[in-house]
Amino acid sequence: MIEPRHRQRAAASRGSPNGWLLGAPPAVFLLVFFLAPALLMVGASFQEPGEFGGLAPLLQDGRLNLSLESYRFFFGDRIYAEIFLRSFIVAAATTLICLMLAYPLALAIAQSAKRRRDLLVLLVILPFASNFLIRIYAWIVLLGPAGLLYTPGAVIAGMVYVHLPFMVLPLYANLEKHDPALLEAAQDLGAGRWTRFRRITLPLSLPGVWAGSALVFIPVLGMFAVPELLGGTRDMLIGNLIKEQFLDNRDWPLGASLSILLTVGVLLLAGLSAWSARPRRSVP
Amino acid sequence: MKIWPSLRRWARRLAALAALAAPAHGEDVLYLYIWNSYLSEDTVRRFESQCRCRVNQDYYSDNEEMLAKLDAGATGYDLLVPTGYAVETLLRKNALRPLDRTKLPKLANLKSDFREPWYDPGLRYTVPYATTVTLLGYNATRLAQLGLPTDSWALIFEPRHLEKLKGRVTVLNSQRELMAAAMKYLGHSVQETDPARWDEAKRLILRAKPYWATFSNSTYIKDLALGNIWVAHGYSSDMYRAQQDALEAGRPFAIDFRTPKEGAVLAVDSFVLHQGGRRPDLAHRFIDFMLDGANAADVSNLIGAGNPNAAAMPHIRPEIAGHRGIFPPPEELRRLEMLRDFDPKTRRLLSRMWTEIKVR
Amino acid sequence: MKRGAPGLWAAALSVYAFLYVPLAIVVLFSFNDSMLSAEWVGFTTRWYATLFADQQMLDAAANSLFIALSAASLSTVLGTMAGLAMARRRSAWLGGLPLLVLGPVAMPELLLGVSLLLFFRQVLDLTLGLLSILIAHVTFSIGFVAVVVRSSLAMLDESIFEAARDLGASSWQTFRHVTLPLIRPAVLAGFLMSFTLSIDDFVITFFVAGVGVTTLPLQIYSLIKVAVTPEINAVSTLLMALTLTLIALAAKLAPDALKGRL
Repeated sequence: MIEPRHRQRAAASRGSPNGWLLGAPPAVFLLVFFLAPALLMVGASFQEPGEFGGLAPLLQDGRLNLSLESYRFFFGDRIYAEIFLRSFIVAAATTLICLMLAYPLALAIAQSAKRRRDLLVLLVILPFASNFLIRIYAWIVLLGPAGLLYTPGAVIAGMVYVHLPFMVLPLYANLEKHDPALLEAAQDLGAGRWTRFRRITLPLSLPGVWAGSALVFIPVLGMFAVPELLGGTRDMLIGNLIKEQFLDNRDWPLGASLSILLTVGVLLLAGLSAWSARPRRSVP
Repeated sequence: MKIWPSLRRWARRLAALAALAAPAHGEDVLYLYIWNSYLSEDTVRRFESQCRCRVNQDYYSDNEEMLAKLDAGATGYDLLVPTGYAVETLLRKNALRPLDRTKLPKLANLKSDFREPWYDPGLRYTVPYATTVTLLGYNATRLAQLGLPTDSWALIFEPRHLEKLKGRVTVLNSQRELMAAAMKYLGHSVQETDPARWDEAKRLILRAKPYWATFSNSTYIKDLALGNIWVAHGYSSDMYRAQQDALEAGRPFAIDFRTPKEGAVLAVDSFVLHQGGRRPDLAHRFIDFMLDGANAADVSNLIGAGNPNAAAMPHIRPEIAGHRGIFPPPEELRRLEMLRDFDPKTRRLLSRMWTEIKVR
Repeated sequence: MKRGAPGLWAAALSVYAFLYVPLAIVVLFSFNDSMLSAEWVGFTTRWYATLFADQQMLDAAANSLFIALSAASLSTVLGTMAGLAMARRRSAWLGGLPLLVLGPVAMPELLLGVSLLLFFRQVLDLTLGLLSILIAHVTFSIGFVAVVVRSSLAMLDESIFEAARDLGASSWQTFRHVTLPLIRPAVLAGFLMSFTLSIDDFVITFFVAGVGVTTLPLQIYSLIKVAVTPEINAVSTLLMALTLTLIALAAKLAPDALKGRL
């Protein structure tokens, strides 16, 4: 069941037809509709803000109007680094709480009778077919009288609520495939419930844990609506900072450079964690 | 393999809908980009039958959203309804079409106070439609019990008042609006850019901030009506909404609002013609139709906005027309100031200071 | 199969409760005879009457549902392909695929919205409409599907594929009869995630929506300064009921697809 990494890779590759052709359609789609527009914004981050918002003309008086000013503004000031750090802490806390809530739920669904699983999964996602704003207003009604509104705790609660399905579903997709025979064998060998979980279920579910964590941690970093609607007077996160540059402030170059620094930072972090978490497990 | 036929069906519908989504040429449609509830359904229907055309409304809830969308190249709108400073921005970008005043005979209905706005003296591009004051809304019942004054910015800036209001105050989540309130309280202009005075305002804000519940641009409407919040810095039309909500729900308290005596920010929203519009003819007809007193009264009756149209006054419900927060008397009107955009460098510096205010 | 521990179910049920308590408020207040969703006043269906008379809101809801179903289908197909490709042995250009796929997830939505609008208008000169919204939604959903599919492939046991090949299955047959059924939960999870991402998106949609095309979140946000009435609770309740019905219907009409026998 548990294989060294290279054999798993080989397995996956044999299970799909036509090799790299599979990757071509999504890659082309994203090259056109993500990378090309993103490069426009990378360019924008080196431009100067327009007199009345947007971007200053690239060519002015025969001189190319490009500068590192936006980046200098960011790096020349500790306060922006502080907001980045704070946002990473909020994202990490949200991810951790989501994981703790999602794991038992995903496990329970995965262990339920097969014909009921789809319904249980659907029930996880159903609340999110309603509207975001109206759910947040429901939280205001819930938290307001309890005096919990406009606190860092309310921000985390809101973040967890909004992102929980993105942890439950990847975990479920993983746990659903665990072979019950393995657990039964362990039980026959006298392993208790906790030991079975710790030595078999948990290590096998790590790819699901990583996937879910990535899909929670990363979007939380850019989120601005939750801190804006549920947070107090100090709950400013990167998302809010970026939003202010594009809207209130109409400073596109600064907004673009903040966004790009965030995106690059997140992708580096994802690469790093994928590298450090590459499977090195063997049967204990 | 039932997937392919069904995918093909979806693709066909998609192609059909994409074609539908493109504005149909030839048909008489007037495209408005406007705030929600600025026009009543009835008014729109009457205009449609009069001009034998169709009116399409898309909504925004923030000038900045609208400007960002236009900045990035969105087109197809005939009419926009920006606020003063946003008008200047659009004008400076050559995004607006001059008005043909011969097609607007009802311009005479406008009050003289609104004919010479700084961003468009003589109304060559704009026709003012609605006004709002940024002021203080409050739970009148509570504040009377606490014995607090409601006619001064001191209510949200002075710790001696705030001590009785800890966690019950919200201020606008807008660098310009909050700075403007602080500047007015300190006796300066809202356009002040002197660093020493900025610093003074920053200290005032930071001293008061620990007592505030949050920065809020919209939730304060609900919070006031629910009773979670007792004082809110916000727009007169929002305060009117909160007042009506509390009244309708039979809350055991009353919401009211007034302009602080130190002065405040006035916002004037105007109809303007976007360069990208295809039907300036329909747009002119629409503006003149909206200048008619009965139609111009819409925005006041629907959302409690102030009205620059003199002919509209008899058509406005008396509790709105008579409210000092919505229609400031002349001596208060003189103390109101409109916001004007800063240049990019100043904007960046202000944003830096605002970030510090938010984080501290 | 053995049932889970009672403790596990208790935990699971309390998480369901966490998900459904705010929702119960949404549904409850859609029947409440008061503008202000603060306390229970009395039963009414007037908000539903208001809703059914509000053509703009209904059109927006129909647009949202249509876009969400199309965007979720499209991103599920593309995302599954990307996930399968990412699970393959490294090849020069496939090394960039994870970055390409995670990029839109990592990029702040405001930047994504502005950049797509700039691109559509100034590079492609595309008329904004349903199509531009659909493309934008697929762009940010692909990553979610791909990550889940990729992680579920990490679990697969090679011997299954070997067995299939030993029995003479072609690689396409192996894919269709072995791989696809095995990753089905991941594909379903990806579809559901894309669906909710699309139906609830405001920021990106705001930028790429065309003249005269609106979605439910756009319609609702425009009311934030005017009046968030229980009509919005009613439309939310209706949308959930509709989603439930659609999926139940799909399960009845196409049980094969849902059971993994595509």
